[in-house]
Amino acid sequence: MSSSTPFSSPVFGGARCFVKVRGFLPALPALILLFCFFLFPVVRMLGFSVEAGTLDWYAKALGEGLYLEVFWNTFEIAMIVTAVCLLLGYPVGFLIATTTPGWATLGFIFVLLPLWTSVLVRTYAWMVLLGRNGVFNRWLIDIGLVSDPLPLLNNFSGVLIGMVHVLLPYMVLPIYGAVRRLDPALVSAAQGLGASSWRVFWRVYLPLTAPGIFAGATIVFVLSLGFFITPALLGGGKVMMLAVLIEQQIHQTLNWPFAAALSAVLLALTVGVYSLAQLFTRQEARS
Amino acid sequence: MRNMRRREAMMIGGAAVLAGRGALAQEPPKPAQIVVNHSGGSMGAAMRKAFFNGFEKKYGIRVVETSPADFGKLRAMVESGNVEWDITEIGGQDAIRATKMNLVEKIDDKIVDRSKYPEKVRTPYVFASSVYTTIIGYRTDVFKNGSQPKSWADWWDVKKFPGARSMRDHPVDNLEFALIADGVPMDKLYPLDMDRAFKKLDQIKPHVSVWWATGQQPAQLLLDKEVVLATGWNGRFYDLIKKGAPIEIEWTQGALKQGSFVIPRGAKNPYWGQKMLAEMSIPQQQAVYATELGYPGLNLEALNYVDAKVKPYLPTQYIDKQFWIDDAWWADNGNKALEAWNAWKLKKA
Repeated sequence: MSSSTPFSSPVFGGARCFVKVRGFLPALPALILLFCFFLFPVVRMLGFSVEAGTLDWYAKALGEGLYLEVFWNTFEIAMIVTAVCLLLGYPVGFLIATTTPGWATLGFIFVLLPLWTSVLVRTYAWMVLLGRNGVFNRWLIDIGLVSDPLPLLNNFSGVLIGMVHVLLPYMVLPIYGAVRRLDPALVSAAQGLGASSWRVFWRVYLPLTAPGIFAGATIVFVLSLGFFITPALLGGGKVMMLAVLIEQQIHQTLNWPFAAALSAVLLALTVGVYSLAQLFTRQEARS
Repeated sequence: MRNMRRREAMMIGGAAVLAGRGALAQEPPKPAQIVVNHSGGSMGAAMRKAFFNGFEKKYGIRVVETSPADFGKLRAMVESGNVEWDITEIGGQDAIRATKMNLVEKIDDKIVDRSKYPEKVRTPYVFASSVYTTIIGYRTDVFKNGSQPKSWADWWDVKKFPGARSMRDHPVDNLEFALIADGVPMDKLYPLDMDRAFKKLDQIKPHVSVWWATGQQPAQLLLDKEVVLATGWNGRFYDLIKKGAPIEIEWTQGALKQGSFVIPRGAKNPYWGQKMLAEMSIPQQQAVYATELGYPGLNLEALNYVDAKVKPYLPTQYIDKQFWIDDAWWADNGNKALEAWNAWKLKKA
């Protein structure tokens, strides 16, 4: 980007540098804030995990069956949530991006409204809806679809429904953006050349909105990894995710070094997934 | 300049404290407020009614309440030297660990009169504020006319007492209940035989539809008919029974625990913290608290001031049928038990 500015010649090297620093200045307060309240505590926390001078806590986190299984559970749940969010989110994002402005506004309200409501409130609302004597089950029994209440709450399906609901907007918004950025002329051209709608979707829409899909999937996946309230309350204590274990280590057993080691592994995995996704999107953009 | 002013202020302050000591000898200056940390919810409201209002009126010191009780936070505060709380509630086994970790101040028996307390709970660093018990709550429309489970063996008997159950997502209580159900007498529980307990828990696992995480859950689950039987803390059930919910309590073989308060080491107003504990040990005030929540205090005279209608809902009435959780065992083995619990929960049936 900077190579196209007039300051890029050697003569203006100093000035360019100055401009760069000046461009940096408005971000400084935010960076200082991030350093003091995010980066420093994180590093300090990671320090706990190697306090004793050994990597014993990491060996425990990565060596014992219990913790490996919880890591795997967490990953599995994050993957399923991401997949369901994508399946539900793509059509919604697509629709909002291609409909009339009036409908788009309405769609946005529906997508964003949950984002402005506390996760705790939404979680309790799901309890009222999904319970054995909840609204859904009573309705299903009344119209005679089922005779016994469906087990929707206090198990994996409860966690899945709750998490997808919380995370769906993070999938819809990047996809909406990607569809909006797409040049409608390309679609017209494809249709003009005789492609069926299905073919237009596969050959034009999908490849060109892939960055949006990747962005949404990354955000949803990464946020799922650290989920805490929803699995604790909608899972009936049967769905164990890593954040729940970390909380136990911090508040109950007071084993902070181990909590730090577990967090560090989770952080490493998250950064790994994020970089992988970055790699993909960059390749996608290049091709 | 700024430094000098600060040093000056400190010197003046120090002199004032010295002068104060010399002149009044017994009472440190009154702060504008003290901070009491507790587990919040209806408990906070009851403490305000029973203890805080009286304290504020008596001494003119505002009582600021924070919550929840959090052992991790207590440790962080004491270790960083920035102690916000003047007194704090703390879990039974956490109180023992906090004492061992040197995180709390000694209770001053000259200020806090515990002479009417049972010998067992008069420990030097921990103030026993109340008794509570983990017992069976049940739906009266499902188990009519006293047909409810009356022991942990009954609780395990899913043929005779069918229906979804809820138990706490934690090894404490549950290991004890499993052993009692398996035939261990209540006075021979400790040290707990964990292998035997988990083997017994295997049998009940498929019938537990919710492992509860917060104290409010079991009562709510019964109210919503999500389950028909739930273990829970007596006060939470009492609260709904008072409001007319179709719920009752079976007290037999309940697990007794004491609610505890401590003064964090390095608290800003330790003297006024002690005064607060003194307020909390007055029998008339404890009676007010017990009537609100169903958690009686341990001043044994308090029962004399409780209404006859409330007495059946106080665990102190049933101590003979119940057992005391051994906080010392849990303080030493809690972490190990929790890890075993997590592994047991993950195990596919």
